Formats: sequence, C-alpha cells, structure tokens
Amino acid sequence: MSRGFDHLLDAVVRIDVKESTFDDGAQRISEGIGSGVIISPGGLILTNAHVASPRAVGIFVTLASLERVSARLVGWDHWTDLAVLRLDLDDVRRRKLSFTSAEFGDSSKLYTGQTVYAVGTPYGLERTLTRGIISNKSRPFEDPQGIDGYETGMFNNWLQTDAAINPGNSGGPLATEDGKVIGINSRTYIGAENLGFAIPANIARRVSAELVQHGRISRSYLGFDPGVLQDLENFYTLAANTGLLVNSVDPGSPAARAGLHPGDVVLKLNGEKLDGRFHEQLPPIQNMIASLPVGSTVRLSVKRGGQMLELSAVTEKLESQMGEEWALEKWGLSVQKVTRTFARRNQLTDETGAIVLGVQPGYPAADAGLARGDIITKIGSVPIADLDKLKKIYEAYVLKPVPQLIEAQRNRSISLYVIKP
Amino acid sequence: MNFLRRLPLLLCLATPVFASTASLPELFNERLKSVVAVEFFIQDEIERHPVGVQGTVVDDNGTIILPAAAILPRVAPDQLKDFKVYQPGSTEPANATYLGQDALTGWHFIRVEEKLRSKLVPVTKYAAIAADPVLSEELWGIGLRNKDEDFMPYFLSSRVAMVTKLPQKTAIAASEVAGPGLPVFNLAGQLAGLAQTSFGQNFLLFSRKQNGNPIVLVNVEESSVVLLADEVLPNVGRIPQSVTGRPIAWLGAYGVQPLAPEVAKLLNLENQSGVVLSDLLEGSPAVKAGLKERDIVLAIDGQPLPRLKPDHMVAGFLSQEILRHRPGDTITLTILRDGARQETKVTLGDEPKLPREARRQYFERLGFTVREFLPTDGIVNRVKPAEQLGVIVHFVKPGSPAATAGLQPDDWVREIDGVEVKTYAAALEMLHAIEAGNNRPESVLLVSRGGETAVLRVKLN
Repeated sequence: MSRGFDHLLDAVVRIDVKESTFDDGAQRISEGIGSGVIISPGGLILTNAHVASPRAVGIFVTLASLERVSARLVGWDHWTDLAVLRLDLDDVRRRKLSFTSAEFGDSSKLYTGQTVYAVGTPYGLERTLTRGIISNKSRPFEDPQGIDGYETGMFNNWLQTDAAINPGNSGGPLATEDGKVIGINSRTYIGAENLGFAIPANIARRVSAELVQHGRISRSYLGFDPGVLQDLENFYTLAANTGLLVNSVDPGSPAARAGLHPGDVVLKLNGEKLDGRFHEQLPPIQNMIASLPVGSTVRLSVKRGGQMLELSAVTEKLESQMGEEWALEKWGLSVQKVTRTFARRNQLTDETGAIVLGVQPGYPAADAGLARGDIITKIGSVPIADLDKLKKIYEAYVLKPVPQLIEAQRNRSISLYVIKP
Repeated sequence: MNFLRRLPLLLCLATPVFASTASLPELFNERLKSVVAVEFFIQDEIERHPVGVQGTVVDDNGTIILPAAAILPRVAPDQLKDFKVYQPGSTEPANATYLGQDALTGWHFIRVEEKLRSKLVPVTKYAAIAADPVLSEELWGIGLRNKDEDFMPYFLSSRVAMVTKLPQKTAIAASEVAGPGLPVFNLAGQLAGLAQTSFGQNFLLFSRKQNGNPIVLVNVEESSVVLLADEVLPNVGRIPQSVTGRPIAWLGAYGVQPLAPEVAKLLNLENQSGVVLSDLLEGSPAVKAGLKERDIVLAIDGQPLPRLKPDHMVAGFLSQEILRHRPGDTITLTILRDGARQETKVTLGDEPKLPREARRQYFERLGFTVREFLPTDGIVNRVKPAEQLGVIVHFVKPGSPAATAGLQPDDWVREIDGVEVKTYAAALEMLHAIEAGNNRPESVLLVSRGGETAVLRVKLN
C-alpha cells in the first residue's frame, strides 16, 4: 500500500455510542459500534447518522493509537446518513495524544471497476481493511424509515462496492489506493453478499462543511414524490429525455396548494428542463429542489394530458416525519410528537397529538389500555399541541398524582382512557 | 341419619327420569335428524374454494342455519355455489339454495330440496329449557366427523362452567359440547342452545426451536360456547327477505369505542357503561340527527347501556339494539356531550351497499376485478362523499399484467390512461376498451393506497 494509505489508516477510528431509546415505554440506553474518519486537524470526525444521532448520550472514539477519547455530536443529517463529531481536544492535549486527518478525493472522477478499499470496525473487529471495486457509481437507495424511523436517501445516489461491508463498518471510509477518502461506507443488504453502499465523498464534503457551520442542513420542501418516467414517454407524448412524473402529492403541501396532481409530468422547474426517466436521475432532481432557499417561489411547467400548465409554489422547510421523543417514566409511557409530515402522510386533520412508542407492562399507561401506535390527542381538556403541554401535565401529576382522562385515537377511532396513580 | 343423608342424592338421580323417559342414546339418535353437514364452494375469479360447515334445521320447510363465520363478509352471494346437504352418516347429498345472511344474528340461511325435508326434524320441535342452565349442569350435543368418514355423528358432553352476556346470554361449558352451529341439549333432551364458533385458547408451544412461545388455538370441529335457547329461538324465523339480507337498519358511526369502568368513574358515570362515537359518515342518520364525534352514548330508548365484560361487548350491544330495528324507525339516544346529558332522536337509515353487494367486473386480460366505490370506502380512504369517484380493486390475479404492475386488492383506481374515472360504468367502458384494443402496448392507472398515490403501468403485450 502507499504512504498515503498509511496516513489514512491513522485517521480511521472506532466509535462506541451509548444512546437513549424510547421504544419500551421508558428511556433506555443501548450501545452500538461504528466507524469514522478524522477529517480535520481540529478533530472533526465524519461518520454515519445511523451511528451517531441526537439520541446519543455518550460517544467514545478509539484512535489509531488505541487511545480512547470522548467526542460530541456537531450535527447530523439523516437524509444523507452523515454525522459530524468533534473530539474532546482538551483531553487530547492533556494526554498528549496525536492523530492525523484524512483527505477527500473527488468521487465524481471514479470509474466503474476501480479498485477501492474499505476500513472500519465490522462486528467490533477494529481496523479491518477490505478490498473491492466500484460496482456502480450512482445507485439510488431511498428508505422512508431507514435511520431508526428517519427518512434517508432521497437526495443522493450511492456508490456501490463489492468490498466487504458488514455491520460496524458504518461511518468508515471507502478510499482509493492513494488513501483519499472517496466515500463513507453506510449500508449493505443483510443476507446478500458483496453489495455494499457508500455516500460519495463530494456529498459528504458539502454536507459536513454545512453541519460544521450551521449544525444542520436546511432544505426546501415542495411535497410531491416523483416516479420513474421510463417507458411512459409515449403514453405522455413527451419529447425525448424530458419530464418528471408526479407519483404522489402530500395533502396540504405547497405542491398540493399549487394545484399539482398525481399523474402530472413536470417538464421544467424554474425554466430548467427536467429529465427523470430513470430511478437514479431522481435523487439529483430532488436535491435540486431541496437546495432552493426555503420560502422561495418555484415555477413548474406541467403537462397534464394534452394540457400545458404553469404552476407556482412557495417552498416550505423540509421536516422529517419523526418528532421529538420523550418518556413519562412514572406512567410507563414513551411518546413521539406528531409532526406536520406525519400528519399529512397519515391523513390526520392536524398535527395535534403524541404517538405512543411503547408502554411498560404493569405501569399506569398499560393498565389504562394504551398501546403502541395510539395517538394521544388530549389530556383532560388540554389538546396536546406540543410536547411541553404533555410535560407540564406530567410534572403536575408527579407532584400530586390524580387520575387523568386521556383521549386517544387508534385507527382513527376515538377512545378514552384513565391514567391512575 | 343414614337415610336423611341419602335423600338429596336420590332426588338428583331422579330428576331426568321425570323429565323424559328416553335414554341418552335414544335422545341422541332422535336429535340427529336436526343436524346436517353442509358443503359448498366459493367461486372467485380463477379458483374454487370448497367449504364444509355444520348446520341446524329450524323449520319444516327445510330451512337450515349456518354459523356467521361460514362465509366471509367480502364474499358476494353469487359466488356461493353448489350447496349440498348431508345427513349424519350419509353419503347421499341433497341440493340446497342460499337464502342470505341475517344482519342481527349473523346466521346464513339455506333451504334444502324437498326430498330430504321429510327425513329432517326442526330443532324447534323439542321443548326448550325453561330457565338458564345452572353452574355445573350437564349439557350434551352432537359432533360430526369429516366427509371421508361419512359425517359420522358422535356424542359430546360437558358441564356448564359459566353463564355470561356477550352481549347475548351465552353458556360456556368446561369442554366441547357440540360441533359449531349445532344444537346443545340438557339431559332431558330439552334444547339448551346453539353451539357457536369456539373461542381461541391460549397455549404455550414447546419444540426444539421454540421455548414456550404463546400461541392461540381455535377448535374448528367442536365448541364449548353455547348461545342459549331464548337468544336463539326468537330469531330462527329471521329468514332473509332477499339474498342481500336487507333491510338492515343503519346509524352511520364507524368508530364505536367502549368506556372502561375507570373512565366511566372519572366522568361520574358510576355503574354505567357507554360508548364514544367517532368516524361518523357524512350524510348518515347519525350526522343528520346532530350527533358529533366524541359524543358518549349512555342509553338507547331509555335503556342504559349495560356494563358487560369484556368492555368491548357494549359496542356489540349497541349495534345489536340498532339491528333489531328497521330502517325508518326512530330511536332515542341519551348522550353525554361536554359534560351534559341530552336526548337525541335518530331516524335510522338503510345500511349503504356492503362490499358483498357491490357491482363487480373481472377483466381477464388485465388480470384484475374492479368494484364500485362504496360509502365505507370513503371512511377507509378519508374522502368526502363529493370526492368519492373511481373504483376499488377487488381482486388481482397472481402473475397477471395488473399484478406485475404492482396493483393490489383495495387499491383505489382514480384515473385510467390519464382520464379521471367518474363512475363505475365509465370505468368498465374504459377497461373493456383497453382489453379490446389489440395494439396497445400498455395502460396507465393512477391508484391511491393509504393516502398516497402512484402511477402504475400495466403492460399488455
């Protein structure tokens, strides 16, 4: 291997994460192992969003020198499955530890068949190096609940490699022989062989820079899901290589308000021609929309049957379907706030309410009959417009426990329950 | 002393002798004339599904009732074919006609052809028990073996373990007493009731791979659940006037959730039960009468909703009380709204078309069946009556162009080849035209599923 590659190996770390989970009607701690790569002399580490998320309560990094240092989350972006950590530099200095940082390569210059190497911690086996080739440069890989319920993969394509990628490789670098990072290994098909996927370095570079600067990525939302237009050009009598098919429009979204219909074909967006015939062409188009400033006006040139329409929509801020999570320990109840996106997707009238994530057997919520998936909309006469309302009621209950009347929906049917001390 | 102690025992032994002089084997052989095995098949688009059930003869015209579970609600009457009735131990079938399902009891009614009628004795010919069976009373009934054993009858008996309301009065025996759908008698041969579909029983499964996994077993051949005679006999005459089972009284509330006792207590409704209404269909009798989501129904026609166990039985009670009425009847509901009681008069309507009544059409070349959009589909898909256009996919043939395109049963087809589907007739016209056209390479459907839409391409060549 090259000297550059030795340099890269010194920048690869093992990451142990303790994170809270709210699945069982209580806040619990679970542990996970992943990989990461140091990308700046200031101790910034790039890893996956599914390795280190805001749920993390403790992040511990094992350097190439086998020294363990704590780190904190700088920011995460589940849409691209990326997260940035910062090493506790005071600790590094105090203990006189050293590390190197890796360099990015240009992922757009990769060719199919090019030899690449993956470094990481598969199944806890630290500093494992595997080799393969680039199997495909732009593999679409959307998953509406891929990162512990968070959406991922709508805005980027992935590098596919046959270098062995296993659980624990997540967040580690995919690199060329000169040690340049060209991707962040992220996922694999469990049960399949030699099908690994990595986020291209050019995306990782952009996202990590924005996470460092702002702590989060701001994206625009129009509210429609594109479908593949391939083989339908004749049906829609379209000129070659044009158009984006609208598969679904979120109710109440900017696209819906603008009058966009499922089955419409968007020919141009702000005057720019769209070509969405193939699946892998969709994420870049989605990313183009997401990259518009929030609140900007978008002009859509739309073909509906034989008709041509000019529609205009104002983008909203993109939000995940996942809301804030919280556990009401004394009730044995864990909940997640209903978000605008969740409400639209599930045809709820508004975003009032908290979804039951879990109940603990033998605790008041379980005794009352509440179950996972119920949506708590009201306690007493207070609508649960946000989690603070719920927290206030719960805190009052903890000081002075009196029975609480809960209104909840299960499969849209309204039921009443009582939480008793 | 000795004599006195023996006396109660002698009395017990004597009781059946006073009531009937026939022995149990004699009673068994006589009562066999009231039970039959029934076979038929359900014809779907591509397959036949044979069904075997047991039935009880209820009148001299050869009318036989079958349990509600014998036929799933989605199955249309015209899919039910070739009813055959066998007497226990016989290989000689008699033909029968399907008369329909009664909405109140759920029973399916069939009528057997003339030639068998003289050999049958309706179960109504026997005296019924005068009072509810007491705890530990012995009951017996008939079980039937399968067709390969000529539906041979066999004797079953057990003792009453409990009598409860579900919401109808029901005795539960300690073990199985009869085949589901068959009558149950006491030792004197009096009719005690009708065995229902048996309940699931909890077991733990141990095997090499499984270490005590909980499973539920349902005995489909025998049952220990007995609907008591005074719940059965008043209803055996409810022979449907038409194969659809209509008229069916209808309120129009699709979310009816029981109040748990703790909730009732917190609302100061001690010893009172109730149900919370939600999912009220626009334009339904409930909405026309001014009922609203979150109203709590406390009484119907002045009769308070009883506290039943388990809690959800009270929802069944309300629905039964409504089904006892006819469309056009006015009922009075006592409701609790915002803490205040009020009375609301509701004029019941006629139940809108049910899935089994919907018009349907199978398209062989495309490989799917569409049916008309029903008001209940509006509830499922959350759309107002004005937006209820299009058709619903009823069936998709495996491996067909429709299946390959990703079409699924219950999908809501809203556009065909870019044209909005306004009516069922329009959908049929478009789909017939697609099947007739030989040169079309494909067809495009816009479907809605769980609130999301998708454009599906059905390749025809």
